[in-house]
Amino acid sequence: MDLNFSDEQKMLREEIQKFCMSDYTFEKREEIIKSGEGFDRDVWKLFSELGWLSLPFNEDSGGFGCGPVELSILFEEFGKVLVLEPYLSTVVLSGYIIDNSSFSRRVEFVEAITSGNKHVSLAYIEPNQNFDHADPETSAVNDGNNIIINGKKSLVLNGGNADDLIVWVSYHDKKALILIDKEQTGLSSIEFPTVDGQTCAEISFKDVSVSKDSILAIDEEAEALLNEAINLATLCVSAESIGCMTACYMKTIEYTKGRQQFGQPISKFQVLQHRMVDMFMETEVCKSLLYKAMLECDSKQDTKSKSVSALKYQIGTSGRLVSQEAVQLHGGMGVSDEMLIGHYLKKLVAIDALFGNSDYHLNKY
Amino acid sequence: MEISFTDKDLEFRNEIRSWIENDYPKHVKEKQDKGEALTKEDITDFHKAIAAKGWMGFNWPTEYGGTGWTSTQIYIFQKEFGLAGCPPILPFGVAMVGPVIYTFGNEEQKKRFLPDILNFNTWWSQGYSEPGSGSDLASLSTKAVKEGDHYIVNGSKTWTTLAQHSDWIFNLVRTETTEKRQEGISFLLIDMKSPGVEVEPIITIDGAHEVNTVFFTDVKVPAENLIGEEGKGWTYAKFLLANERFGIAVVGAEIRQLNKLKEIVSKLNNSDLSRKVKKLEIDLSALEMSGLRMLSDIETKGHPGPESSILKIRGTEIQQRLTELFVEAAGEHALIYPGPKGHEADSQPDGPDYAAKALAKYLNYRKTSIYGGSNEIQKNIIAKMILGL
Repeated sequence: MDLNFSDEQKMLREEIQKFCMSDYTFEKREEIIKSGEGFDRDVWKLFSELGWLSLPFNEDSGGFGCGPVELSILFEEFGKVLVLEPYLSTVVLSGYIIDNSSFSRRVEFVEAITSGNKHVSLAYIEPNQNFDHADPETSAVNDGNNIIINGKKSLVLNGGNADDLIVWVSYHDKKALILIDKEQTGLSSIEFPTVDGQTCAEISFKDVSVSKDSILAIDEEAEALLNEAINLATLCVSAESIGCMTACYMKTIEYTKGRQQFGQPISKFQVLQHRMVDMFMETEVCKSLLYKAMLECDSKQDTKSKSVSALKYQIGTSGRLVSQEAVQLHGGMGVSDEMLIGHYLKKLVAIDALFGNSDYHLNKY
Repeated sequence: MEISFTDKDLEFRNEIRSWIENDYPKHVKEKQDKGEALTKEDITDFHKAIAAKGWMGFNWPTEYGGTGWTSTQIYIFQKEFGLAGCPPILPFGVAMVGPVIYTFGNEEQKKRFLPDILNFNTWWSQGYSEPGSGSDLASLSTKAVKEGDHYIVNGSKTWTTLAQHSDWIFNLVRTETTEKRQEGISFLLIDMKSPGVEVEPIITIDGAHEVNTVFFTDVKVPAENLIGEEGKGWTYAKFLLANERFGIAVVGAEIRQLNKLKEIVSKLNNSDLSRKVKKLEIDLSALEMSGLRMLSDIETKGHPGPESSILKIRGTEIQQRLTELFVEAAGEHALIYPGPKGHEADSQPDGPDYAAKALAKYLNYRKTSIYGGSNEIQKNIIAKMILGL
């Protein structure tokens, strides 16, 4: 048993940290949000040049073959500065499905993603569902060599910016994942901002016709790919939230040391010290559950889904506690939109809502 | 990163398991599982069995007759004992004073005390807290005044676990009044049979006699019983506490308790309680992993990392929560409670058999967040040492 990161993993963390600390300032982030684009294309290009977009892809499709451990490192560091770029939707969710499917144009698509030229979003949530997406109403039916898709998907992360969509559909008496170019006739999209400064879209399909070659996977294979992708994404956002929590308690310590009231720094008050200790402890507890889930996913153990549920339950609960405390201890500054601290709260709320919230995962555990 | 134990470690685990299965005193395990109090004889029996196997010095180097095990082996050993429902080894001799003696004691003291600890021939107690010195331990006032080749000790120690059975007690005593309070403290071993030593029981709210107050009135203690140097007692005490922390990382007994609780709750059809149990299971899983993180740090870096500081707080919170949920599961049947000695009920009351024991343990376990440095003191330490507040 050895729970230390390897030298390569430490180097990767340092590289990401360097970028996050020097290039991804709060002002920069505000600019990106104000642009309405949801992310910055130059930053995305830089991620590609640094090789970060290639991390999780299999080596035979041109990737680095990294696993959950490296992704956790990346997301934890992203969480500390609240990176907006759609790594989760394009690389983790869509990338995983494409890369592990038997799709004929797999290598070409992976190349387009890792070079930063293509965004793909996963459309699996529907308007009348909450957390359980096993049975899609959106349907695909055979029509000669083509299939016709009808239905609607909601909460498609980065859906407005996506070039292609992976759509989860009922396909006669089976289920399927289908890759659809967003320019297809019959497809319409409405974009919405999300609470964490990113964007998502609602996408309608009216008699959208695509070739049968667009089917990425059918039935059990499709279901397994979707579940595995969501599992991996859950792990990633959990790591991201640990980054947020770490930033929350560190920034709170810094703030209370500088804030003078009653003739002394408020960090001297024991009642505040113990609350900051609680923030630290909650973060460490989450980190332990992250290690467990991430290593079990890495070695594909049977218990991995259960461990991911434990993790997602805990980061939902702890994330809220830690970020609420951070806001409280910052006083009025904590609720000012021009201060970074409140944005961690928003990110942690967003993460809790994704892929099953705390309550959902406790039931599932 | 690698989460699994090596094959060698797993082999070691099997050795421990099979010994417990075949050679551990069965009557002790049965009593422990039923939540019944162990007598002095029970406690002696299982320690003697472990000593006979050569495992008493599980955390000692071979040089002093210990097993020389790695931290991982020590971890596995303690975890397997807990998982199997064996009571924990009393820490006062082997885990507390023993390492202080072989690290800071002289040759004479090592020869005199260590073999008896390894063979469980002597019972030890810890003389730290005083009626006026709890969390603020450095304020202690039990005085040891040197007179020729003796110290004359006056004062009292309290919350002294199992002092009613003890042969020896290791004490922090004040040998000098210094400006920095810690500098006047020394580490002194006192024979409990010495004239002037009196033990007064403290009955805790569960009705048990576990702790005591020990009074010292003009007790004559040979100067050769001083460990190390005069005035260095605080350093030795801190060394002892660092050793103590390790045991807290092991969660075998808690896993066994949780499994028992899950079995009880699964039959109750109470979804609210089931959710509480699930939450606790997740907490315990996180605690276990935090313990493994600490173990990994010790094995690879030689010292525990900051995550270890949360173990005492989280560990005791989880232990207490476990006892609370047993009581909750017992429902209204938790009302009946065994009376004071001599007034116990003659027959088993209606309701589940774990009910009264559950409440006793619940009451008894309120101590865990108080002892070993209260959880509030632990938070002060984290605030200062880790968060830099």
